[in-house]
Amino acid sequence: MSERDITQPRDKGRNIPPVAISETSTLVNPTGSWKYIMPRYEDRVAPCNAGCPVGIDIEGYMYLIGQGRLEEAADLLVRENPMPAVTGRVCHHPCEHSCNRASLDEPVAIHSVERRLGDMILAAPPPPAPERTRTETVAVIGSGPAGLSCAYFLARLGFCVTVFEAASEAGGMLRLGIPEYRLPRAILDRQIERIAGTGIEIRTSVRIGTDVPWTDLDEFDAVFAAPGAHTGKDSTIEGAEGVSAIRPGLEFLKEVNAGARPDLGDRVIVVGGGNTAMDCARSALRLGADVTVLYRRTPREMPAIPLEVREAKDEGVGFEFLAAPTAVELEDGEFRGITCQRMELGPPDDSGRRRPVPIEGDVFSMTADTVLTAIGEDCDLSFLPDDVRTNWGLIEVDTLGESTSTPVFAGGDAVDMPRSVADALGAGKRAAIGIDHFLREKAGEDVGEVPLGALRFGEGNVSALRYAEDEDPIPREAPVNETVTWDQMNPHHFRTAPRHEDHFHNAIDLRSAFGETNFGLNEREAIEEAERCLNCGVCNRCELCLIFCPDMAISRRDDGGFEIDMRYCKGCGLCAAECPRGAVTMTREGI
Amino acid sequence: MKKVMIGNHAVSWGALRSRVEVISAYPITPQTQIVEALSDMVADGSLPAQYIKVESEHSAMAACIGGSIAGTRTFTATSAQGLALMHEMLHWAAGGRLPVVMANVNRAMAPGWTIWTDQNDSLSQRDTGWIQLYCETNQEVFDTTIQSFKLAETVNLPVMLVLDAFYLSHTSEPVDVTEQEDVDRFLPKREAAFKMDTSDPRAFGALVRPDAYTEMRWQQQEAMLEARDVFRRVEDDWEAITGRRYGAVETYRTEDADLLLVTSGTITSTARHVVDERRAAGEKVGLIKVKMFRPFPTDELRELLGGVDRVAVLDRNISPGHGGIFAEEIRAALYDVPPEDRPNLFGYILGLGGRDVTPAVIDDIIDNTRSTARPEREDLWVGVEL
Amino acid sequence: MSQTIIKQHIPQDELLASGHLACPGCAAPIAMNLVLKALGPETMVVLPACCWSIIAGPWPQSSLQVPLFHTAFETGAAVASGIKAGLVSRGDTKTTVISWAGDGGTFDIGLQALSGAAERNEDFIYFCYDNEAYMNTGIQRSSATPWGAWTTTTPTSDPEHQPKKDIMAIMAAHRIPYAATASVAYPVDLVEKVKKARTIRGTRFIHILAPCPPGWKTQNDETIDLARMAVERRVFPLMEVENGGSWRFTVDHPGGSVEEYIRRQARFKHLTDRQVEIIQDQVDARWEILSNRVKYGT
Repeated sequence: MSERDITQPRDKGRNIPPVAISETSTLVNPTGSWKYIMPRYEDRVAPCNAGCPVGIDIEGYMYLIGQGRLEEAADLLVRENPMPAVTGRVCHHPCEHSCNRASLDEPVAIHSVERRLGDMILAAPPPPAPERTRTETVAVIGSGPAGLSCAYFLARLGFCVTVFEAASEAGGMLRLGIPEYRLPRAILDRQIERIAGTGIEIRTSVRIGTDVPWTDLDEFDAVFAAPGAHTGKDSTIEGAEGVSAIRPGLEFLKEVNAGARPDLGDRVIVVGGGNTAMDCARSALRLGADVTVLYRRTPREMPAIPLEVREAKDEGVGFEFLAAPTAVELEDGEFRGITCQRMELGPPDDSGRRRPVPIEGDVFSMTADTVLTAIGEDCDLSFLPDDVRTNWGLIEVDTLGESTSTPVFAGGDAVDMPRSVADALGAGKRAAIGIDHFLREKAGEDVGEVPLGALRFGEGNVSALRYAEDEDPIPREAPVNETVTWDQMNPHHFRTAPRHEDHFHNAIDLRSAFGETNFGLNEREAIEEAERCLNCGVCNRCELCLIFCPDMAISRRDDGGFEIDMRYCKGCGLCAAECPRGAVTMTREGI
Repeated sequence: MKKVMIGNHAVSWGALRSRVEVISAYPITPQTQIVEALSDMVADGSLPAQYIKVESEHSAMAACIGGSIAGTRTFTATSAQGLALMHEMLHWAAGGRLPVVMANVNRAMAPGWTIWTDQNDSLSQRDTGWIQLYCETNQEVFDTTIQSFKLAETVNLPVMLVLDAFYLSHTSEPVDVTEQEDVDRFLPKREAAFKMDTSDPRAFGALVRPDAYTEMRWQQQEAMLEARDVFRRVEDDWEAITGRRYGAVETYRTEDADLLLVTSGTITSTARHVVDERRAAGEKVGLIKVKMFRPFPTDELRELLGGVDRVAVLDRNISPGHGGIFAEEIRAALYDVPPEDRPNLFGYILGLGGRDVTPAVIDDIIDNTRSTARPEREDLWVGVEL
Repeated sequence: MSQTIIKQHIPQDELLASGHLACPGCAAPIAMNLVLKALGPETMVVLPACCWSIIAGPWPQSSLQVPLFHTAFETGAAVASGIKAGLVSRGDTKTTVISWAGDGGTFDIGLQALSGAAERNEDFIYFCYDNEAYMNTGIQRSSATPWGAWTTTTPTSDPEHQPKKDIMAIMAAHRIPYAATASVAYPVDLVEKVKKARTIRGTRFIHILAPCPPGWKTQNDETIDLARMAVERRVFPLMEVENGGSWRFTVDHPGGSVEEYIRRQARFKHLTDRQVEIIQDQVDARWEILSNRVKYGT
């Protein structure tokens, strides 16, 4: 017999209403327990950053511009690049070749944005010089991009730096080799002035080994040698020796860039397909000559920056491809022109380019008043002591620029690396880190190994900001040092938008002028161009993940980032699948 | 104000005086005049209601449910097939505890097609959770319409008031139409116990698991049972204003009766006449009219029928396979009466599909009830001619 | 801008809570969230039987922060009519009433009530989130199920015979002031349509394709991609129809083969290449019809 009457309702305080009226939200259901895989915000490296030989956080400054934070963008840029006004003009911008946006429409015109930011920086008052926090001193040989870069980053690290420059003005190949119409001297001067303003002493007209003996550098705690490559390679034209009409193009460029206006006659042939050849051709054109470039291979193999080639063509430079000069032609003992051999492309050589091979019997003549050869430059390393080992005329160094002779570091065109302004700047930065690390170790600090992997942008160059352990202006979520590829991104959320092309001065008007031909972009265009940046691999707070999360598990944090409430995330993976830039990863870790 | 009007219009007038706010209806004979008159009242502005002319009775009830959960007084009317089509939503209104009021004009179910009266349409909805009130006169129809809102809104249950096809719906009688201010005093604007409200957003009617469904149904049943008392109070209030009351169960000349007729709807009026004649002849015959079918007035019926010798229940309906529905319900109620007080109960089936129930038919029933020792079967069919 | 920054187009406040009971990767809560963002808190939801009856949570829960009325399968449009009438009778003309139904509750069992309400031009927005079958009851075919699809009532040995019902044409034929298709893969387009609908009086109908991972037999993280592909390949074009006569496309539909869209859904895995071509033909034919509607009106 039951002790109580089962037919009587018992009040157990359940407060059950007469109808099903809700009293609570579904937050009481921990539906996150359903998941077997979970998302995590992980920022990755944009391919432009990885592809930049300087090691610039390009994606980062694009992000800041996109947020309207122009000054911070400029700050971030100069943290990694000492001379953006220069590189914005003359860099061959491999960043744009690695830009993922090319798979959507056209790469972002990174150089144009950099140039605009660089000019903005030069127009602003200079920031105060970094504090001298280190007692050690460093000597830098050469004030080209490698030397100035190393000096700049060393100064930012607190060192006293003295730069020795053999020429009467600083700048190295930037000043001697690059014509004014590409890099106005006023820009270069202000950029160098800005770098010197970080507390660097630049001693010009001092050639180490001649004006100052190498041993005088013993007073410095370290040396960075960046003497450049200034000797034009001898031509292989038969009978050229002693013929004054045939001369190294670099020599001609140095003359013109120093302000001279030599008479080359009416017809000039430039031999070569690199940037020096283009500079020679366009400079000769400006002196009133008819110019033809003679190149052994086809346009496809030309090492010159394509834009330079296009500009040369626009200005009226002629091109003779698949042809090589073989011999001097004289008429009555006077130089008349050259004999050329017609070439065809054979199998690829070691560089991967197809090797030109002569077509037997196919020769022709070209008349000329002057022939400028631009087939490469050699280094003069005679000032170096013997224990600094060289190889094929180049200084042997490790990744951080350290030579075989402590404490000598080196970089730029005098070491075995691609010859470009950007590569030189990158080498200078690496060497500055190498020197800092070396001097700290020497001072007894427990510094361990330089964490190169962590300092690099993906597989790219190192970050000075990361080395200095300074705060990143862009909040990164659990950064992973891997370059994000196009197939890791979700392109569907991007709209196509035409690339802003630089404004050029009318080519014909410029034929006789050395004024700058490329005016770049105006500020509005540059900002719009920066907004074309897809921010590959990096969360730019687009909030698509919030919209596509079926479980409302993603919320905004006060600091602008997002957080995923794992109590409710069911692990569907839509946030990762739909993240336009590959900044969300699915993982089974931590489940 | 006295007006002569058909029963359907007595409903319309009741709805008008009740100031219904949302009407949703679909035409069906013999109900249609109710909503036609309401259409006129809405159109001429005398009834400032929203009138949704839906495409089916199912939607009519659904729209009433919508109007009701929005907190307003809602009304519809239907018959037979229309009521059957509403069936699902009748549960929704009752289980959702929404005080919708509906007039159902009793019409027999097809097939074959019929438009005439019997109670099978409304009694088929017995277990949907609606209060059911059956009317005898047009005055009662008018009064009950207004009372229904008061009752429904007090216990949060829907109410179906029922009137016979044609015998009431299309028959004119004088109706004392209570003045608006008196009705307003009796029936103020609806204050919903719960409703859709953006300032207090709630979900209504979500999935209820076995651990709470019983408790909600228990409360629905408690409200139903409470409705018996509430209806008494509603009638008290109405009587105070109008002097009229009907009762869940009405007795007519039952004093000392040894035979009681039990009726509902318009058969009652005919039965009154027959009872008067039999009383005049000295016979102890009385009449009980059942107005309230749900909640079932079990206690009153036990009280009134216990100890009576013979009871004849007149059912204008049939539960196929069993018997007359009122008779079954009354038998069940009387089971708990002491055995010696249980009457000898005769359940007559008659008047289906609108067949006339004349005084002669009722006379025959009284005679048969007196002359038969015990009924041979639960269902005693009257006047079947094959 | 080369990418839509969502917060510039879509209100941030959410009226849908976590912990709801949708399957992982379900499009239905994404759609609801977007719709409520566009409508705001002055909204009442009528919910006839559908997956969302479960997603909303059992008593005593509600995942919505607006009033919600659960109702019978076929009554979405009728109950919404009644609620609106009730509000209006009490002087509230600003609250938006919506009915939120699945394809079964819209194309099939609820079509009569919807047609009635649309014909009366009742003042509410009717949303159909369409997962192309009776998913809540375990994947049975509806008249929204596409030709060739497997469901538990159209086995692979005898898959769905009929193409999807043209609900937009049906609604347009009612000459309601606004009808549109929308997709969870195009959130800005969806929100803009809802915002527009909100400003219009009368019956508004918005048909949202809502991929269902368990019902379509797809991966949880494919929901948006498939919804997008349905639009791009013209299987589910995004359109607006005003007053039944003015049709227009609201996004680009580049077209291309439906093959990838079909093959990524295992509910179609039994189809032969020839049968996929038949689907392509159906899509092409319907596209032509729709293009003509856009060009010439109805």
